[in-house]
This record gives sequence, C-alpha cells and structure tokens, in this order.
Amino acid sequence: MNNESQQVVNAVIDGKAIQAPPSLSVIQALWHAGYPRVKGVGCLEGVCGSCRVLVRRKDESAVNIELGCQTLVEEGMQVMFLVFPNPTHHHYRLSHIQNSWDLHAQFHRIFPEAANCRHCGGCTRGCPKGIDVEKGVELASAGRFKEAGELFVECIMCNICMTGCAEEIAPNHVGLFARRVTAYFHSRPSNLIHRLEQIRKGELRIEEDKDE
Amino acid sequence: MSNSRVSYDEALAAYRPLAERPLQEQHDDVDALLRAYHPDYRADTMTTLKVGPNSGEPCHRQLAEVLQADARIDDADLAGGAIVETDVLVIGGGGAGCAAALVAAVAGAKVILATKLRLGDSNTVMAEGGIQASIDKSDTPQMHYDDTLRAGHHLGEKRLVSQMVMDGPDVIRWLIQQGMQFDMDEFGDLLTRRAGGTSANRVCFYRDYTGLEMMRVLREAVQNSDAEVWEYSPVVELMINEAGHCAGAVISNLKDCRYVQIIAKSVIIATGGIGRMHLNGFPTSNHFGATGDGLVLAYRLGAKLRDLDSFQYHPTGLAHPHHLAGTLITEGVRSAGTWLLNGKGERFVDELKPRDVVAAAILKECAEGRGVQTSDGGQGVWLDTPGLELRNPGILKQRFPKLLHLGKKAGIDPHISPLLIYPTLHYQNGGVAISEHGETTVPGLYCVGEASGGIHGRNRIMGNALLEIISFGRRAGAHAAERRHGKGHKRTSIDHLSRLRRELTISDMPMEQKSPMLFPSCAKFDTDVDYEGLRRNRRK
Repeated sequence: MNNESQQVVNAVIDGKAIQAPPSLSVIQALWHAGYPRVKGVGCLEGVCGSCRVLVRRKDESAVNIELGCQTLVEEGMQVMFLVFPNPTHHHYRLSHIQNSWDLHAQFHRIFPEAANCRHCGGCTRGCPKGIDVEKGVELASAGRFKEAGELFVECIMCNICMTGCAEEIAPNHVGLFARRVTAYFHSRPSNLIHRLEQIRKGELRIEEDKDE
Repeated sequence: MSNSRVSYDEALAAYRPLAERPLQEQHDDVDALLRAYHPDYRADTMTTLKVGPNSGEPCHRQLAEVLQADARIDDADLAGGAIVETDVLVIGGGGAGCAAALVAAVAGAKVILATKLRLGDSNTVMAEGGIQASIDKSDTPQMHYDDTLRAGHHLGEKRLVSQMVMDGPDVIRWLIQQGMQFDMDEFGDLLTRRAGGTSANRVCFYRDYTGLEMMRVLREAVQNSDAEVWEYSPVVELMINEAGHCAGAVISNLKDCRYVQIIAKSVIIATGGIGRMHLNGFPTSNHFGATGDGLVLAYRLGAKLRDLDSFQYHPTGLAHPHHLAGTLITEGVRSAGTWLLNGKGERFVDELKPRDVVAAAILKECAEGRGVQTSDGGQGVWLDTPGLELRNPGILKQRFPKLLHLGKKAGIDPHISPLLIYPTLHYQNGGVAISEHGETTVPGLYCVGEASGGIHGRNRIMGNALLEIISFGRRAGAHAAERRHGKGHKRTSIDHLSRLRRELTISDMPMEQKSPMLFPSCAKFDTDVDYEGLRRNRRK
C-alpha cells in the first residue's frame, strides 16, 4: 500500500463526525469510521434504489437527495440517511385492464394526479439517473405509454421523484406503469409463440440419458 | 517472478485497440487447468462437516463455520412476542421470492413475504446478462439441457434441469404478462445472444439491465397483489411442529427490534447466495444481503444440502480502481465478442468457454506473472472493450449502458481504455437439495433460487440463474399454496435448537459464533446499539 493516497476528508454522516478517504462512498465512509450501518444499504452498485441520503455540501445551502452508494464523501459534507421508503398509494392490476383501447382512461383513474403536474421540475432535478421524469409524466398523461416508458429505462425505483412531487403523482410508478402496459399489451414475439406451440403439441421433448 | 509483471500505467501506455488478435492454439487440459487454478480446488480451504444432515461431507471452511454455529435466539426471546398466522411464508424479496409469492397469492393462499431489507434488494436486480430460454429456431430444449449439464460437469440433477429448460419459453411469456420488456428485433421477435459454454443463441435480455427490469416489474406486481410484504424483517430461525415439519419462522424486525413468530403451513426459502461471506478473501459481485442465511436456517431444521464446496467466480469483476473492486461486468460483453488480454497484450483463452474455465485461465495468467499489476497490490487482465468498439462502432452505447455508467464512476472510458478485470465471487452453485416442486427434505419447507442446489452442478452458465428463480419460484409457490388445505400445526416451537446445541457441544464445536450472519461484517451489525434484541445472546 502506498501512503500518498491516505489523505482523508472530514464529514458528518447521520450526526457522526467521521474521517475517511475521498475515494469512498458515504456508506463506505461510515463503515470505515467504525460505525454500523445496515438500514438503507442495498446493492452498492446504484441499481436497487435503497440508499437514499440527504446531502448538503460545504458552503451550500441546498439539500439534495442522492444515492449513498454513488455519492463520494467530500470535505465538509453533511449526510443523513432516508431509511424507510414511502410506498405509493396507487394500486392497479394489469389483469383488471380488460381492453387496451381503454388504457388511457384507466391510467387517469389509477393515477388521477398525473394530469395535475405543475411542471415544477422537482422530479427531474432529483433523479439520480438523469431521467427526464417530468416529460415522462406528460407523455403518459397524453396516453403515449411506449414513449413515456422509454424514458424510464434506467429507473431504479428509488422514489426520490415521489418525494420531490408536490402533487403526489408518484412519477416513477407512472413510468413503470407505462413500461408494463407496453409489454403486457403489445409484446407478442412470434418466435416465442411458435416455440410455446411446439412444446404444447409435444414436438419437443428431452431425452435425459441421451449420449452426447 | 512478480518482477516481470507489468504495471497498470505501463500496460495501459502499451495498449492499442486492434481489429484482429488471433488466439494461439490452446493445449491446456481443462481439468488440469481447473485443478491447478480454480479456487474450489484449494485443499486448505475445505473441511468436513461434523454436525447436521451433511455430516462427513466436504464443505468450504467459512461456510462450515456458519452452518455449525450457535443460533441467535432461544425460547426466552419468544416469550410474550407477537404471533401471526399465514398459509405461505416466503423468505426473501428477490426474483425467486417474488415469483413464489405472486403465484401462491393468485392461487388463493394467504401469503407473507418477509425480506431482510427492502423488497427487491437482491442479486436479481444486479443481474445484467439475461435469461436463458430455448426460443431461437436453431435451438432446442434438448440443446439447452445438454449445455447446462455439460457446463456443470454432469453433476446437475437431470430431472430438475430438464423441467427447467422446458419451462423456459413459458417463463418468458409469464414475465411479459407481468409487464417485463425484452429487446426485440424490427418484427417484434425476441433477440437472443449466446452465453459462454453454450451451443446456440439462447439468452433473452433487456439491454444490460435484464435483472433491474425484471425486479422492478416483479416488485410492482407483488406490491399490487394480495401478498403481504414485511420489509426489514430478517428471519433468524425457522420453527418446527410436533411432527418435525417446518411450521413457520421467527423474524426480527429491524424497525422496532422485536421478534415476531410467523406460523405458516409452508415456508419457502428464497434468500439467495453467499457472496458477502467473501470466500477465500475474494471480492464479490453480490448484493449486501447475500450472506447465506437460508442455508443455515434450512440446515438446522434438518434439510439436506449439496455441493457445498462449489462456487462460481465470475471471470470479469472490475479490478481497478480499488474502491470498485469486485463490481461485475456482464458476460454479455464477452458474448458480444470482447477479448481478454494479458499484460503483454495477448489473448490467452477462448473468451466464451464456461465461466470456471475462463476464471481459472485468468488466475493462471496472473499467477505466472503475465497479469497487470495495480499500485494498491491488486492485479488482473484486460477486457478489451476498445477493440470491440473498433470492430462494432456504437455497440457499447447501444447494448451496454450500465458498463458505460460503471466506467464513468471508475473514471475510465471503455471506448478508449480497456478495463482491468479479475475473477469475483459470484454464485453459489450448490445449496439446499430440492425436488421438482422445490421441496426440501423437511416437509413444509421449500427452497428456490440461488439458495437451492442441484441444477447447475459445479458451474453455472449465464442466464440460467434468472431462468431458475422464475421456473422454480412459480412451481414452489403453486405447490406450497396447495398445502393451505392441510390441517394446521398442533404445536410450534424452536425445539430443534436444543438438538443443535447438544450436537455442537458433543462435537466440540466453538459456540461463540452466532448465525445466520444476516449482514456482512463490514456493516458491524452485531455491535450496533440499535439492535439490542439481537445482541442479547452475543458472546460476553
């Protein structure tokens, strides 16, 4: 180990003053300083959306919500974990939507607040994946589900956009709805259907003891 | 020998992307290569189990330590605590647990899904490569079956494998009906790519986000189903009834630090793998919660385990920079045609060989001084992404957005610079022995997904894990739901712990360690003052 990279920064994480190398994420920094942490820790790769933290950087008044595993610790940084995610109040079952012609109406029944978007941009600003969340809500409200869903390819359901929405739209769930109905109603791969048919007819079987 | 190793900076300066790099003919005998370099064959890491249903069988030393450790609770912990009843209890909130819970709930059973962290916190969400299903016209389920068994060195359970590969196409259909998207061609047909060690294009995928797409869809489906979800509720012990059948589980709620008994007619373990045990000191690609809890819980109740000495080291874990060590780079990158290069810029293995072979070949290059040395003492070989981009302009951006994101975090642009990689602990090949319905040898106890064993033999091919979790998750969910018609338990307890403690004492095992582990040691859970309830039994 070479020692030149051993410089450390000072930060406050969950009220605890810690010192850690700046190459560590705020979660790693907390562990490095000897403090336990299990709640809110997940994949540690930025795809599970569990480790939401409030962050205020040195000499800034703004408080941002970020992902703890993706945020490197900085000098003078203040960090607070947001542990328990807020569940959405929207409920639906794809199987209850009988007819895809009815989809637009059903969407506004399930997500009545989506039409109330005030275009404040809070959802888009908060998104750790850089998704144009507000645009996605607008497209979904206009019934353009396939286009809306495409915007949410990288969504990790961290719920930060929900927290940022004054109208309680739950934009990430809107995006996921748009993606799910696109698959549910429009994915009918002919190669898959053909194979299922072959299996149903008993044309494809496994010989378990066949010599290779 | 180590002096001949080239440093990271030197090797990077010497590197050039080339359109052609022929592979020298390989003369290595595969078995000899594995025996000499695969970590499973290091004799000093193995031990023999002394307690429990697998007594006398070989087991990795670190795994044996938790299987033969003391329990976290005793009867006094349960006194006065809450008791809840359900038909089916699913333990684990990854893909396998969600599939089981959804199917059981649709079948009409009352379902509780208890998960250690948040619903969807799992290895599933991190799976990138895709899911195998024999769909392509050049492919058959028989070829899928043959590939799976061959890659597993013919040690997989034939009936489980043949059932799983025949389930493949219907698993994809089921996932689409849950609302999952797959990459398709211009006519709406599923695209497939080829996994290492296989004979046809068989991996269905969604970009390099297959697991993320699957998990967010299943999580949304479960949250909109009749299944009840208990988050931050790790199971610390299973319960038995008067006949020795599984009768439920004890969870420890991380929110209020209380124990709750969930009495269930059937219990499905879907707790995933062991990567965070860092076997042999390897870095891991696994989720924070992958601590092998399910193996411990099932073993204590008397369930037979299998292949406890076989683990998968994924060839391409990131080796540099240090703070991202172990992070997985999907095999899809090699499937697309990316080469592996040693410190001299030479290819040294057919990159599409099975994972155990490729991993052993990398370890051999490094051991014989042809690796690339990092300044912090690590080493590895190059994953030649610029060469791939040179031959297929635009492919990285189109097909591997997650890889580019990783590059951004690492401060390396994979278009321009190759990535240094080293094998990373990825998957537990063995696990709890199961039937075609996911039943363990203990009545009332099921196990599905990575925690179960028997499908992959001693080596798994890409895309079979995502297939397995849905195939067996659905089957176990349906079978367990049927048990709701049976009569309930007369008496439930944790009496099996007296037997465990007696056996541990007789075998002269140290009683200091408690298990299941629940969280990796780096998180210091057992010293956390927030969890007084779980600390009560700690060593004084």
